[in-house]
Amino acid sequence: MVSKMSDSSNSDLHEEPESFVIEKQAQRRIFKIIVIGDSNVGKTCLTYRFCSSKFPDKTEATIGVDFRERTVNVEGEQIKLQLWDTAGQERFRKSMVQHYYRNVHAIVFVYDVTKMSSFENMPGWIGECDQHNLNRDIPRILVGNKCDEKDKIAVNTNLAQKFADSYNMPLFETSAKDDEKANHVDAIFMTLAHKLKNAKPMMPPYLTNHSRNFNTVQLGDSLQKRGLERARAEERNDSCSC
Amino acid sequence: MTAIEEISMIPDWFGNDFYSDEANKNNSRQSLKRKTVFNKSEKWQKIEKTLDQDPVDVSSLKQFAISPGGLLDDELRKEIWPILLDVDIDNIPPKPGIEILHGHRDYNQVLLDVNRSLKRFPPGMDENIRLGLQDQLVDLIMRVLVNHEELHYYQGYHDICVTFLLVVGEDVAFALVDKLSLNHLRDFMDANMDRTKHILNYLYPIVGKSNPELREFMERSEVGTVFSLSWLITWYGHVLNDLRQIVRFYDFFIACHPLMPIYLAAAIVLHRADEILASECDMCIVHGLLSKIPQDLPFEQLISKAGDLYLQYPPSDLAYDAILNFQMTQSYTKARSRNRQKFTRKKKTDKKRWFVFNQDGKSGFLKFTFWTVTTAVVSAAVIAYLRSWEWG
Repeated sequence: MVSKMSDSSNSDLHEEPESFVIEKQAQRRIFKIIVIGDSNVGKTCLTYRFCSSKFPDKTEATIGVDFRERTVNVEGEQIKLQLWDTAGQERFRKSMVQHYYRNVHAIVFVYDVTKMSSFENMPGWIGECDQHNLNRDIPRILVGNKCDEKDKIAVNTNLAQKFADSYNMPLFETSAKDDEKANHVDAIFMTLAHKLKNAKPMMPPYLTNHSRNFNTVQLGDSLQKRGLERARAEERNDSCSC
Repeated sequence: MTAIEEISMIPDWFGNDFYSDEANKNNSRQSLKRKTVFNKSEKWQKIEKTLDQDPVDVSSLKQFAISPGGLLDDELRKEIWPILLDVDIDNIPPKPGIEILHGHRDYNQVLLDVNRSLKRFPPGMDENIRLGLQDQLVDLIMRVLVNHEELHYYQGYHDICVTFLLVVGEDVAFALVDKLSLNHLRDFMDANMDRTKHILNYLYPIVGKSNPELREFMERSEVGTVFSLSWLITWYGHVLNDLRQIVRFYDFFIACHPLMPIYLAAAIVLHRADEILASECDMCIVHGLLSKIPQDLPFEQLISKAGDLYLQYPPSDLAYDAILNFQMTQSYTKARSRNRQKFTRKKKTDKKRWFVFNQDGKSGFLKFTFWTVTTAVVSAAVIAYLRSWEWG
């Protein structure tokens, strides 16, 4: 399913002959996804895992905003997902991150399942997001990260699910660190890619940013999504929260 | 010695007539050709000789810190950095108790960031030593914050502190960072980042003066200035891998005006002009390109270039443009905000904002950064380059 990946830190973008790249870009739709949440919940690791297919060795605090991208194939169409990884410290989000809410196509809220405060801060993040991006029809998902740390789980899945339901968001619990969950992280972003693709079949994303087309999107209309939901349900039956 | 005399001495280290009036008229490419090579042992001897004098000639030490190679070695830095910052290392206040350090409002954030700062320590360092240094780093940061209630920790401050810790050790690092935090770093340590943002607004005017086409391209791409945020607030500690290169920059910044890091940012952007102009004019592409600093840039040349830009376009000349830049961003944001409201049919009264610096919409006062207002008021900005920087 994945055809090509790239990170802004390397020069993959310039490897192909220019004319070929231009031709491909003309066909390729680009979707911008912003990843937000408290400091140290694993935003950088999640985006790195998806864009580079591995867990980073040494991650540092993100200062301002980092950018990663990956091109995926969704039902035969090449789609570029641009992930904006934001700093968690409040001072940055108050004055620096707002620039990046512009023209965003989807929002990923991340909390740390081992840290209740990161979950409790979610309404604040969502409220702020609504303030910057008043179009509430933009797809939003909630991700509980670090569920490999089974002994330390502090945020109950049912609680998180209720919260997600109240905001009409799908919930995913995962781990950027756990290699066995690598496909799971992929599938989360692929779910978004499917939603974005199917939401806007005709128009380029940047033209439809504030349109109401998203009203027609149903959460369950992707195979990935249904697969994940099922997987999660099964996991819950096994009394494992992740 | 007057500031003009100080500046006139600079050619001795940068090559002929580096900062002369004639040289200032030359364009950036010519200045990059100026020689940045130097004789290390010769410079070392000159520095030793200066240090042997009593009283020590601080102006000469500043010049050594700026000129190619900087202060050459960490042993010299240990001795010279405190002199440049006018810090008395024999009377450093004792460390407060653990409960005071750990009780501070920013303690948890500091801990999170220091625990993740593995990259900042030399590769191959023994784990126990590194863990000990990380504990010292937390204490060092907390000591400054506890010492000044008005200062707020920001992510990236730890990148600055670790550099000082690795070069001079915890106690002296505390004394140095404590001083810097009230001066060079003060604007970054407000409760919010409005003044940091304002400093970033100097980048486009400097770039534009040297290369209008590049400024226009960057503005059209809507890349903004956040790509250079970590450069500015960590003094490049966050984005460079080689500690030797980082401390070389620190020599330069300690000896110069607090806005110098933004001039260096402009020098880096200008140096990469061809690369930027050849890329797609798109926010993501340009951000991706610019936010990663190639590790093999000619950093000595870029330091010269930054000094050159400072003299050619002193902050006082740019202050108005920087404010204008900010206003444009504001009106653009407001326009977008109105569009959004239209789409969502939310009726919110868009209060007219009468003040230039009103980013959070709460404060109605004109806010300037401490350093930009200083330089804007002083008309002879060149003098400010070396001289206005008196520690006391």
